[in-house]
Amino acid sequence: MTSLKDILSPFTAWKNVILEPVTIKDPINDRPGAARYRGFHKNDITKCIGCGTCEDICENEAIDMVPVEGIETKDGDSGLRPKIDYGRCCWCALCVDVCTTNSLSMSNEYKWIDTDPDNFRFIPGVDKKSWDDNEAGWKKPEPNYEFYGLKRAEMGELHPEERDHSFIEFIKGYSKQQAQEEADRCVECGICTATCPAHMGIPDYIRAIRNDDIEEGLRVLYETNPLPEICGRICTHKCESVCSIGHKGEPLSIRWLKRYIADQVESEHYKKILETENLVKNGKKVAIIGAGPSGLSAAYYLSLLGYECTIFEKLPEAGGMMRYGIPEYRLPYDQIDKDINYILSLGVEIRYNVNIGSDITLDQLHLDYDAVFAGTGLHLGRSTRIDGSDHENVYQSIELLRKITLGEEIHVAEKIVVIGGGNVAMDITRSLARLQKIKYGKVQTLATSLETEDKMPADREEVVEAREEGAIIDPGWAPQSIEIVDGKVKGLHVTQCLSLFDATGAFNPQCNLDNKKFFEADMVVESIGQGMDLGYISENIKDNLTMGPRGRIQVDKYFQTSLPWLFLGGDIIQGPDVIHGIANGHQAARGIDNYLNAKG
Amino acid sequence: MEQLINKLQKSFKLSDVKHQRENLTFVTVKKDSALDLVTHCRDYEGFSHFVLLSCVDWIEDGKFQLTYLLNNPSGKFDLGIRTFISRDNASMTSAHLLWRQIATYQRELKEMYGIDFPGSPRVDESFILEGWDEIPPMRREFDTKKYSEDTYFPREGRGSNDPATYMKSKLYPDDEK
Amino acid sequence: MMKNSIFNISPDRSKYPEKDAEGNLMVDLDSQKYVKLWQGPQHPGVTGNMSLELTISGDEIIQAKTHVGYLHRGFEKLMERRKYIQCFPTCIRMCVAEPDYNEYNLAAGIEELSGIEVPEMAQWLRTLVLEMARLQSLLRVVPGQGGTFALGLGVQWGVYLRDLILDLFEELTGGRVYHMYILPGGVRGLLPDGFKKRMEETLKKIDEFVVNIDNLMFSNAVFKQRAKDVGIIQPEWIDQFGIVGPNARSAGFMRDVRKDYPYLVYDQLDFEPMTMNYSDIYNRARLRWHDLIMTVDLIRQIMAKIPETGDIKAPTPNVLHWKIPRNETYIRSESSRGEYGFYMVSDGTDKPRRINLRGPSYVHAISLLEHMLINANIADTAAIMVSLQTCPPEIER
Ligand code: SF4
Ligand code: SF4
Ligand code: SF4
Repeated sequence: MTSLKDILSPFTAWKNVILEPVTIKDPINDRPGAARYRGFHKNDITKCIGCGTCEDICENEAIDMVPVEGIETKDGDSGLRPKIDYGRCCWCALCVDVCTTNSLSMSNEYKWIDTDPDNFRFIPGVDKKSWDDNEAGWKKPEPNYEFYGLKRAEMGELHPEERDHSFIEFIKGYSKQQAQEEADRCVECGICTATCPAHMGIPDYIRAIRNDDIEEGLRVLYETNPLPEICGRICTHKCESVCSIGHKGEPLSIRWLKRYIADQVESEHYKKILETENLVKNGKKVAIIGAGPSGLSAAYYLSLLGYECTIFEKLPEAGGMMRYGIPEYRLPYDQIDKDINYILSLGVEIRYNVNIGSDITLDQLHLDYDAVFAGTGLHLGRSTRIDGSDHENVYQSIELLRKITLGEEIHVAEKIVVIGGGNVAMDITRSLARLQKIKYGKVQTLATSLETEDKMPADREEVVEAREEGAIIDPGWAPQSIEIVDGKVKGLHVTQCLSLFDATGAFNPQCNLDNKKFFEADMVVESIGQGMDLGYISENIKDNLTMGPRGRIQVDKYFQTSLPWLFLGGDIIQGPDVIHGIANGHQAARGIDNYLNAKG
Repeated sequence: MEQLINKLQKSFKLSDVKHQRENLTFVTVKKDSALDLVTHCRDYEGFSHFVLLSCVDWIEDGKFQLTYLLNNPSGKFDLGIRTFISRDNASMTSAHLLWRQIATYQRELKEMYGIDFPGSPRVDESFILEGWDEIPPMRREFDTKKYSEDTYFPREGRGSNDPATYMKSKLYPDDEK
Repeated sequence: MMKNSIFNISPDRSKYPEKDAEGNLMVDLDSQKYVKLWQGPQHPGVTGNMSLELTISGDEIIQAKTHVGYLHRGFEKLMERRKYIQCFPTCIRMCVAEPDYNEYNLAAGIEELSGIEVPEMAQWLRTLVLEMARLQSLLRVVPGQGGTFALGLGVQWGVYLRDLILDLFEELTGGRVYHMYILPGGVRGLLPDGFKKRMEETLKKIDEFVVNIDNLMFSNAVFKQRAKDVGIIQPEWIDQFGIVGPNARSAGFMRDVRKDYPYLVYDQLDFEPMTMNYSDIYNRARLRWHDLIMTVDLIRQIMAKIPETGDIKAPTPNVLHWKIPRNETYIRSESSRGEYGFYMVSDGTDKPRRINLRGPSYVHAISLLEHMLINANIADTAAIMVSLQTCPPEIER
């Protein structure tokens, strides 16, 4: 049975004796890890924003987020950096693939000997290591390899042709599916919260959308913002500019998500969801001047604390700049009313058409109420004061917008030039374009600004949409004069604007006088900023107020003036911005509460 | 597969029939008829291969789900037979006579979930754990994290910060909610 | 029953062990007729940390019990506390020898339960790593059978070649043993430049190895004497015990998930798994040797057919909060040891309710091995065990 072959053939293995050994002679130096090897981590510390997403995904809890000397906490950067415990790390590189900025990667180094185990905990990129400059090592695979969506969920909009001749709202709002798709992209880092002036619980309400728990979402919104329908439409969404996802893709549509929540809830359910059905009054009264964002916000949070609030409003309806400054196609009036009516339902009273100073004095309010909060807006237009700007067909954007809201007839010429590059300028440009379309069937509105295209302060989408609607935006020009022939406006002379600020940072535009242009027009609208009207503060009060820099009244962090009963907030303190106004109003409400509690 | 299920419906009360794939179907039966169905499938429907016996703890319902997964090697499809038993004094008829490997599964389920299979060979012998005096560890209420925190010691010097909270403490510490 | 050779001692089994009325063995250790012998958990002939509690009489095994748990880390439990994506680094450790089947099964299960289609490129790459995993495993196992009879030379060859495959794994996946390459939706990288060339160089060396091991082991009088007619698997046991893969195929049952339930791109590849009609240690080793040749051929086919480029991953929900509605499924793939299955139950949250691994060794190393060792010679214990290709980590999970 046992064949000779079976006895001899194993001896063929002896041929190996003459072969070269296959062992690597000097493995320490001759055997670097492969190009994709998952070795010790590297982190580009200037790119990392300390979002902590790497910590979240690490199934081994190998990562701690720790402060690092020399890295400052600022908008969009927590100042923390990941510290890795190699006693726990299993080299899976999920942290690398999930990193929101692509700052984190791995080197191909796998050999490191040290006698102190604590050295195997270090902050990649901060604690210098020999492999920091290794090119080879694991990086997030490219392309089309992501752990979360980088593109925004589609948002329904009216087509330019549908919207350019009407004032109906043109952003349709998210459907449930779109909202959940969008909410899914959030990594819950909370980096955005610090940048939001009202420090809204953004990741929390986004999570509520994911969980389809709209009621919870609404509660989170109202913790910091009593005007979510409004903010969900026109907030300047500074949060989106720092969103972690924005580093690799499109930032979360935080604003539209907020709007989605508010849109889902009917007014009549608010009180129940927000548990404000049985507020207990504390018997104290606060007067509020101006039913704009800050005034309404203060009134809301004071009401929650039991205060009886009365708002004095100069105009026939509440909302301030939100109603009278922002066109209806961006912010429909019924949505303003939804937010405001809920606040009123808590017992807040508004007295319309009341001018403080003439109808009732501030001193009187001081006598009648325990405290006063003034949150008046910037309702005075500023002029360029160039030649011809005093002509009757040269208008202030803020006045035109107010008149449009009030339903008053305004002059709409066939050819219009708007001076200004901010959101208000875009608002009036787009409003006038619509009115032209209705009146003449075509749009001939042009907007020009000192700032060049990339530096225009208006939101990008405003500029894009204005163009879609037929308006011309031609930025980077400084207005020189308005040409008037036979008492009629003929157009605007401009020269190229080279820079806006001088070396010291002061506003000091420099122009290239050789490069000129002439914009034909029979109507000019100035939209270069607004001023405040503090006429309602009588001289004797003013004398007792401490003034700060640039002629502003000084307030503390609770917006309390040097007269303890008087609080000021909103646009007059922080410049025109709804969300700042809301934050101010909220903070002032806390200040008033502190002040009155201390007073007893 | 549909046909087979219809046929089985006649003699067994099947519920929650789920055709997961064209070659994989799950059905639920009452505890009492579960092994009858398993035996029937083995003897008459060609399910000669036993894939696994597994348990799912639905603690919120007070139930253990036992899944007997059978395979028909010639038809090339699987049938998952689910049955639900109470979590308290959990016990199930032993199936060790049907296939030789089932005793091992039952021994593991006894140790890991505390489900008794009276009569199953060596069912009380420890399978994986030695000297274990906690509750059966695969039960949902057994908290692995807590167990390891109680049993082992944390590494000195660890500690993390939540970015949002940390930013608040640095940038706007006075803003109370 | 045993063969007629110089290595064989024909025992007289008429007396020992005696049985009681119910047929149970009566083993009285104090009678001095029996000895308890522990083989493992530290033992050169044992794969992984497993021990066998043997009751012997002379050099014959009367009773055997498999003990596992030296490696138990509660992975199934841990996965119930982790998000789906976080289960990957955990699941791969359930089988050290071929971690990729864990990655594949888990990913395929998540994809099935979430309705995600994997791009074609990724399917090819997945098939490639699964075959590479089989190859590196067989490179250890095939000569390893010789090792159990003290023929260590082939093992050294195999370990060297396995390391060359691990080099290729390292290039492709960034890891040598735990690859973390297959994730839900796809894979983590295309083939690096020059990969095919280096793969072919390695496969050529393996071609030589195939011939050399044939000369060294399969045409070796000593090996034949030790391995033939020992450790026989009877055909009727296949269903009784639930035997799968090569162990079943050697006894005449065609059991190969790649053929029976084609997944990935196996239906585009040309291969015919071998079956045999007599399952002893020798034949099982021989069948694995054929499997190795077939795997080399499959990798060559894949290298020839794989698309040049393409998407490696389908878009998925955000992995940080990926929830799966309540459902369950069973996913199987063919590891080198046979059917490797995941029973997965989701409950609507972002974490699995239950993941239950059904590895071949759950049967092969316990009920089957305990049965086969009865009346075996203690010198054959390791050989029988290795011939079943047991792997304890997949038992205790
Ligand atoms: S590589 Fe994996 S285990 Fe290591 S820190 Fe990153 S996520 Fe954690
Ligand atoms: S995920 Fe990236 S950016 Fe965020 S903390 Fe970690 S390393 Fe930094
Ligand atoms: S919205 Fe962006 S910045 Fe804010 S928590 Fe989500 S991912 Fe982070």
